[in-house]
Amino acid sequence: MAKRLSGLQRDVLQMYRLCVREAHKKPLASRPNFLRYIRTEFVKYRDIPRKDFSTIEHLLRVGHRRLETFASPEVKDIH
Amino acid sequence: MSMSGLLRTSFTRTALRRGLATEAGQVAPRLKTFKIYRWSPDKPTEKPRLQEFQVDLNKCGPMVLDALLKIKDEQDGTLTLRRSCREGICGSCAMNIGGRNTLACLCKIDPDTSKESKIYPLPHMYVIKDLVPDLTQFYKQYKSVQPYLQRSSVPEDGKEILQSVEDRKKLDGLYECILCACCSTSCPSYWWNQEQYLGPAVLMQAYRWLIDSRDQASKMRKEMLQNSMSLYRCHTIMNCTKTCPKGLNPGFAIQEIKKSMALE
Amino acid sequence: MLSNILRGSAMALRTTSMRTALRPSGASPALWSSLRLYSSSLNNDDIRCRVIDVVKAFDKTTASAQINADTHFAKDLGLDSLDTVELLVAIEEEFDVEIPDKVADEIKSVSQAVDYIASNPEAN
Repeated sequence: MAKRLSGLQRDVLQMYRLCVREAHKKPLASRPNFLRYIRTEFVKYRDIPRKDFSTIEHLLRVGHRRLETFASPEVKDIH
Repeated sequence: MSMSGLLRTSFTRTALRRGLATEAGQVAPRLKTFKIYRWSPDKPTEKPRLQEFQVDLNKCGPMVLDALLKIKDEQDGTLTLRRSCREGICGSCAMNIGGRNTLACLCKIDPDTSKESKIYPLPHMYVIKDLVPDLTQFYKQYKSVQPYLQRSSVPEDGKEILQSVEDRKKLDGLYECILCACCSTSCPSYWWNQEQYLGPAVLMQAYRWLIDSRDQASKMRKEMLQNSMSLYRCHTIMNCTKTCPKGLNPGFAIQEIKKSMALE
Repeated sequence: MLSNILRGSAMALRTTSMRTALRPSGASPALWSSLRLYSSSLNNDDIRCRVIDVVKAFDKTTASAQINADTHFAKDLGLDSLDTVELLVAIEEEFDVEIPDKVADEIKSVSQAVDYIASNPEAN
C-alpha cells in the first residue's frame, strides 16, 4: 500500500499544495470556485503515464506560471 | 438547357479559367519543401514532430517569412509563429532556419528546390507552441541589468545631458540590437547555464550602458557582473557574432567588459 | 534575477524574526525542555479533537466514516492524494502553521497529523 512516490509525483503534489494554499488566501465566497478550478485542472491530466517526464514537467511549468498569475491579489474570483 | 449546351458552357468556363492561369504564370511551378517543427500545448502528451509543406516559389515572396505566412494562410491556419514588422526591426520572427538562428523576415528562401528547408524554434528554449519560444527568462535577465540611464545629478541648466560626438560613436553597433535572442540561444554556454549566465544579447546591453558617457552607475553595474556566472561563462565561442541577423558583435562587447573589469 | 535573490533573502529574514518573536523571551538552548513545554501548550487531546473536527468538516470525507485517532486518510476515508493535500492545508489553517513539503508527504493518518502538530512549537 505505502507506495513510494517518485520525485516528479512529489513535485506535482507540492504544486497542488501551493495552489490550495493560494486559494485559501482568496475571499471566502470565491474559494470553492478556485478549489474546483484547481481540481479540474489537475484531474484533466490524471491519466498521463508516470514515466512521461517531459509532458509532466511541461505541465508543472505551465502550472507555476498560471499560479503566479492567479496568486495576484487582484484576482478575486474564477469561473 | 440541353445536355450539350450545359457541357459547352462548362467547357468554355474551364477553358477561360485555364487560359487565365497560364497567362499569370507560364513557367512550371517550383515546389519547395519546408519541414516545420510542430508542437501544441493543447495536446501535451503528443511529442513534437516535423510537418512537411510544399510552397510554389513562383507564387511566394522571397523571404522565409513570406513562405511561412503563405503556409499559414493557405494550408494550415494552426501554424503558430511570432511576426510583426517583416523588415528586421522588431525581432519577433527569430527562429532556427536551416540550422542557423536568424530572423525569418531577413532570411532568403534557398531557391534550390531539390533541397528541403527545415525550420525550428530558437534552440534550447521552452516552446509555447510551434515556432514560438518562451522568452520570459530572457526578458527577466534583460531587466536585471537595469537597461536605462542612471544619474545622481542633472545638468545645471535643466536641459539635455550633452554627449560628445566621440562618446556617441561608442554606442554604435550596440544600440541597434533588437533583442531577438538569436545570439543568446546560439550560445552553448547559455544553453547549459541559462539560469545564471546572462548571455550575449543581455551582456551587450550591459556594456552599452557601461560605456555610455552620460551614465553614472557604472561602478554598480560592474559589481553586478563580478561573479563567476553572470559574465564569465562566456568562453569566446563567438556563435553570437556569427549568427546575429543585424550584423552586430556581442562577442566583442563581452570581451570589452571583461577587459575593463580586469584593468580595475 | 537580482531582485529575486533579494526578495528571497528578505523572506528568510522575516521568517527568522517571526520565529524569534514567537519564542518566549530569555529562552536559551539550555531551556530546551521548557521550550518544548511551551510548544505543546496545546495538549494532545485538544489537538486530536480539533484535527478530527477538521477531518469531519472536510466535504470529501465519506459521510459514514467513523473518525478517531487511528483513522487513515486513504484507507478509511477514501481520500486520494490530492484530497489528502487539501485536508492537510485545512489542518494547517486550523493550527496556523505551514507543514513543510517533505513532512506533509508522509502524513497519512489522523495520528500522524496530531504528532506533527504537537511537535511544532508554532502551532496554536
